Amino acid sequence: MAEYRLSEEGKEYLKYGLPEKNLVEFLNSLPQKTATIGKAGSKVKNLPIALKWALEKGWIIKKGDQLTLLKPPYQTEEEVALKKIDAGMKADEKSLKILLERNLVVKVSETYIKTKKSLEKSGNVIAELTHDMIRTDLWEGKEFKKIDVIHVTKKFKKASEGNLQPYRKVIEEVKEKLISLGFKEAKGPYVEMNFWNCDALFMPSDHPARSIHDIFSMKNPRYGKVLDKQLWKRVGETHKNGWKTGSKGWGTWDEDLARRLILRSQGTAVSARTLYKWKKIPYKMFIIDRVFRPDVLDAKHLNDLDQCEGIVVGKGLNLRHLLGYLEAIAKTVGAKKVKFKPSFFPFTEGSVELQVYHDELGWIEAGGSGIFRPEVTLPLGVSVPVLAWGLGIGRLSMIKMKIDDIRYLYSDNLQWLRKQR
Amino acid sequence: MPTVTYSKSDLLSLIGKNLSDEQLKEVIDQIKPGVEEISANEITIEHYADRPDLFGIEGLARAVRQYLGIQKKEKFDVKDSGLTVVAEKVDIRPFIACAVVKDVKLTDELIKSLMNIQEVLHETFGRKRTRVAIGVHDYDEIVPPIKYVGASPAERIIPLEREVEMSLRDVLINVEKGKDYGHIISKADKWPAFIDQEGIFSFPPIINSNRTRVSEKTKNLFLDITGTNEKIVLQTMNILVTNLAERNAKIESVKVNYGNKKTVTPNLSKEKMIIDVDEANEWVGIKLSAEKMMLFLQKMGYDAKKIKNKLEVLIPPYRTDILHQVDIYEDIAIGYGYNKLKPELPKLPTKGGRNEQEIFSNEVREAAVKLGLQEVLTSIMSNEKDQFDKMGLERTEVAEIENPVSLESTIMRKSILPNLLKILSVNQHVSYPQKIFEVGDVILIDKKEETQTRNVRKISVAIADSKIGFQDIASVFDALMKIVKIKYKLKELNHPSFIKGRCASIICKNKQIGFIGEIHPQILQNWKLEMPVAAFEVELI
Repeated sequence: MAEYRLSEEGKEYLKYGLPEKNLVEFLNSLPQKTATIGKAGSKVKNLPIALKWALEKGWIIKKGDQLTLLKPPYQTEEEVALKKIDAGMKADEKSLKILLERNLVVKVSETYIKTKKSLEKSGNVIAELTHDMIRTDLWEGKEFKKIDVIHVTKKFKKASEGNLQPYRKVIEEVKEKLISLGFKEAKGPYVEMNFWNCDALFMPSDHPARSIHDIFSMKNPRYGKVLDKQLWKRVGETHKNGWKTGSKGWGTWDEDLARRLILRSQGTAVSARTLYKWKKIPYKMFIIDRVFRPDVLDAKHLNDLDQCEGIVVGKGLNLRHLLGYLEAIAKTVGAKKVKFKPSFFPFTEGSVELQVYHDELGWIEAGGSGIFRPEVTLPLGVSVPVLAWGLGIGRLSMIKMKIDDIRYLYSDNLQWLRKQR
Repeated sequence: MPTVTYSKSDLLSLIGKNLSDEQLKEVIDQIKPGVEEISANEITIEHYADRPDLFGIEGLARAVRQYLGIQKKEKFDVKDSGLTVVAEKVDIRPFIACAVVKDVKLTDELIKSLMNIQEVLHETFGRKRTRVAIGVHDYDEIVPPIKYVGASPAERIIPLEREVEMSLRDVLINVEKGKDYGHIISKADKWPAFIDQEGIFSFPPIINSNRTRVSEKTKNLFLDITGTNEKIVLQTMNILVTNLAERNAKIESVKVNYGNKKTVTPNLSKEKMIIDVDEANEWVGIKLSAEKMMLFLQKMGYDAKKIKNKLEVLIPPYRTDILHQVDIYEDIAIGYGYNKLKPELPKLPTKGGRNEQEIFSNEVREAAVKLGLQEVLTSIMSNEKDQFDKMGLERTEVAEIENPVSLESTIMRKSILPNLLKILSVNQHVSYPQKIFEVGDVILIDKKEETQTRNVRKISVAIADSKIGFQDIASVFDALMKIVKIKYKLKELNHPSFIKGRCASIICKNKQIGFIGEIHPQILQNWKLEMPVAAFEVELI
């Protein structure tokens, strides 16, 4: 058994040639024997590697952006060595050293020998793919034994318990609390029409929060369908002149923009859909689900986050009731202190920002809320007060989970996840 | 939302009362803007888009004075300047407002404040100068009559901070502001300009002339506001002149003659709105007498007169956000103090409940945990490399984002399995076996739907160990289906992500709802995984 074998990269070069060799061959094929880096890059694979070695070996010179051939290409010792090692023969010491340094050749491990032997024993047909076969690339070119996938014996051996995702657990607790308060859970699509995400919420067509910095637009598919023309007319009129809402309106409305598809940027889109669909008043609706924002974040952050959206629809509701619900939700996640601050959203008046106290981080903003404006409710067919909120459930969950970094919510760290019992 | 830093001493002197940092933060937070930071000399505030009247330091100070009751009544005197500006039809920017402001003391504070407010209003309320642009000039350098005209790009101006005259066209090419904002007008044949006897002194929304530039010697100002929306133009003017009036400058109006229409700007008369005291009380959840309510309205800058059980509310001319009675109700609540309102859960009996799909999803999740699987949560956004290339799949139609902010997140996922393989690949130092799952949505194109797409709920499971095969994953799948009581069938399937002959499609009620198998070692290599992985993904219907 040979002591060395080719690595993945080594195999590739054996098949397609060393990158530096390909580079000089390319230059040699040109009448002037010279080319720019850009040109060479479009013709030669792995150009940075090719450049490094071709320069080191003195085959080419580089002036600024220009590469010029010095020596015609010839067979290198490395190529010869690669061929030999692949054939299971010994290569010369000097070449072997370079190939090892370049990671084109690796030392044959005991695992490799063992795995190879056992494969040979089974006639080079893989019955069971193993870690060792993957590590040694010995699966390559081998046949896999066919399994009777339909009749395979299925016998589950009970292992230790798994674990729910800790953030999902907090979300479920908040859901339970809301259900106990009489809230029904709703659903809505992630790819949404601007109409539901913005226009039905009386956000003016040129509102800054509708810019590309705040909402993801769809490249494909681009436009949604108008299902209820009457509804669109009511919403459009409300924007243009207030319709029958008693409002002055914004003076203009961009219907084409309303048809554009986007990723919903707020759970409020589902609230608008619900107000339109659910006819039996009073009711309470909630949804805890993803929304998407194109914030420029660091590499570990996601562009999707969860929002806890809720509406309460009924006669006689007021601002103090809204504060009551906000306080109840905050307490469910273990907030000991809450504070309310005036805020602004185009779709609510009596806009409230919820602030909660986090032991490590101090006061944190937990989300927005308010009473929907008549410009929102009336065109959707609702004439009673609607309390509404969209809370950053992630931030709230940090209190319960006792974490101070929001990135743990979607942790990909299995070790950490397993520990969160 | 704009964040603006102000001089603390200037703010306090405009308020006219010495407040501690805590008091200042408390009162401003309760009015609405958010105080971000207070240092020895400065205060930084994040504003909300509905109150551009608070963007300027003078307007902010006025609101604090009113809220604290330092100032009770406000009255803005406007004299007629005698000036008429003839406005030609300029299609690209049809509306203007002008004003003369006399006896201005151009202190460092005022100069800073003027620069600040112009910049912030331009950016936000002015939508980066497209909707509104502001020009401030030394009135004494202007030689009336003044006209607003559509100028040819060949006409000339000496732009601000320059000494040589150049064509308007060259301003767009050579001057920084021209490069920044030229796109707003460049497509039109005629460009907006204010001219006097000496030529162009204002080239909105780009730049002023150097001739009428404001200096420390300036005593009187000429303001020009131009834009595409008349209401917004007039409101911007009102915010500017009322701010200047706070520094004791005298406001004088200008007649604007559009030919077919004549107006006078600024117009600081107050609009009226009638509110019902009971309705306002019900809306906030308090019980105030009309008199008490009037006091809170005064705290928020309104005048109010009682007419039976209604109040006639006079809206300050700088308020741009009062569209409806509810806007005044909010101010009553703010005047009262949000933190003085007692939170209360209403008696509103309704029956709560979960969504059907979520109930089933939770059953599946609980079952998966019983079978020893670890739940994970990953992004719905993905990219074609992960979703297709690394899985050995042909790229197919997918919901794609137009304005992605990272190469990682350019499309909506069609499958959860790539996310699981990614998690396995970054955890290869963690003890095996690794068995993970996610229950979540993928997005499929569906032209029948209103949104041309639909969310589809799935579960994906991946198990990895030094030896793991089809039998192992089939056993997990079978056990899971038994717990959630779903009958299924398997059928042989060729799937590029799986080893040939070790993959099956999952059939339920004659519909293919998923796949199961051993991941092909080439796919594992794509993910840099060194352990065998078996997996399934199935729709939860």
